[in-house]
Amino acid sequence: MTGRLSVSHVALALLGVAIVIAVWQGTIAWYGLARIVLPTPFEVASTLAHLFASRSFWHDVLVSLREFLLGYAIGGVLGVLVGTILGERPTARMTVGPVIEALRFIVPFAWIPLTVLWFGTSLTGKVVLVAYAVFFVMVVTTARSIVTVDPTLTRVGTMLGMGPAGIALKVHLRAAAPGIASGAKAAAALGWIAVVAAEYIGASAGLGVMITNASMSLATATVIAGMIVIGIIGATVSWLVGRTTAAWLNY
Amino acid sequence: MESAADRSMAGWSWLRPWLLGLTGGIGALLFWTLMAFWLKGGGGVISRLPTPLAVGADLLAYAQGALWRDLAASLQVFLVGWIVGSVSAAVAGMAIGRSRVIGAVFGPIVEALRPVSSIVWVPLAVVWFGFGFTSKVFLVGLAVFLVVIVYAIDGARRVAPDLERTATMLGMRPLQKFRALVLPSALTEVLVGARVALMSGWGTVIVAELVAADHGLGAHLIAVQQSYDVSAVMASMACFGLAGFVMNAIFSRFEQWLLPWRSGGAAR
Repeated sequence: MTGRLSVSHVALALLGVAIVIAVWQGTIAWYGLARIVLPTPFEVASTLAHLFASRSFWHDVLVSLREFLLGYAIGGVLGVLVGTILGERPTARMTVGPVIEALRFIVPFAWIPLTVLWFGTSLTGKVVLVAYAVFFVMVVTTARSIVTVDPTLTRVGTMLGMGPAGIALKVHLRAAAPGIASGAKAAAALGWIAVVAAEYIGASAGLGVMITNASMSLATATVIAGMIVIGIIGATVSWLVGRTTAAWLNY
Repeated sequence: MESAADRSMAGWSWLRPWLLGLTGGIGALLFWTLMAFWLKGGGGVISRLPTPLAVGADLLAYAQGALWRDLAASLQVFLVGWIVGSVSAAVAGMAIGRSRVIGAVFGPIVEALRPVSSIVWVPLAVVWFGFGFTSKVFLVGLAVFLVVIVYAIDGARRVAPDLERTATMLGMRPLQKFRALVLPSALTEVLVGARVALMSGWGTVIVAELVAADHGLGAHLIAVQQSYDVSAVMASMACFGLAGFVMNAIFSRFEQWLLPWRSGGAAR
């Protein structure tokens, strides 16, 4: 859809940005808003520059990223594993499926208070939470992608003398890869948000802590700057997952 | 030679998923109970895991007490936010989807906002609107808006070119065309998007209530957490799950009844 970016498109998009900034500035001027309610775009930009120069900001970024990456790796691997088993074995699907469906409705965010009780404000709690969030997305997408693989492929595999394990690994997982890849992208976005939400409730460091503290002390420019950083990291993570899986799928 | 065995198998095969599902459910409860006893002996990192029975008892106690008041508060936030978010996304989506210029000016802004989950907006909403109802409705509305807008834009654009040409040929005025072609197509997609947005809206209610804990299920969850009552925490988590499940089931039915031709593709 965005294959051809014409000059007029770019100009109109820039006009959109200009309108947003004008409305933003205009609101401040019109209502005489205090900086603690809505800082100017310029103030947000300079706060962002300040953050980039400070050590504690990078520490927060690293803490959040580490929580995310550990949880994503654990939840992703377990999710694909369990999802493959559920996709391959109808008996397993019928037995475990209902339990997974029931747990799926308890969204990850509802687990935050419990993880704080169980693991305190440590790294473990967030890793468990992210892993939980990622696990369910991956189980459901993996199992569904494997179940919907074209049965002809399975027959071809059997004809070529492959055993059930060979078919599962070499035929089904490959055929299901696009579905699993889109699941991995959705799981990355959800997992990153789970980290931020967990840090609101109980944590000692991280981007979620940074913006809640800033909000409590009415440092609104820092809140907005932090939101921008969180958004950019989230978008980058999803983009990287999409890029990596696309490269890997392109055989 | 195999007909008798086959027939009896066929007669019982409908029972198989139920029996296996039941086995799985009982197995999970049994595992949970065993874990609870094992952890009580100090076996693992998790210090307190109540048994399913204890959680069930707490759930009953909550259901006889404040549950309905809390549930009503949470549902009110959710419904108002969901309706506000869907309606504003429908209007904005049709404008962006139908008008080239509006699409080119505001489309990229929507695209830039979409990856930023509404949950990231929680601290800013607290600064702007405090800890009350407005703040939560804003957050839920934003969450729903960001999901539904994609569907609304898509629906507004998806009107078949043949139909558009036919409508022009029949001499329909733009407003007539809008009512006859664009509105039905866009609103169908908006409904589908509104169901997809159920869970992200409900998740946002949870986070908003956990942070701005004054009323609702999330406030209760934080209150029992702060008194270190693990089984009450698990009971109120179950309430969140049940409420999400019921809403999803109701809306799926509603969608099947209203848009029978779409519900197959939209089933998640």
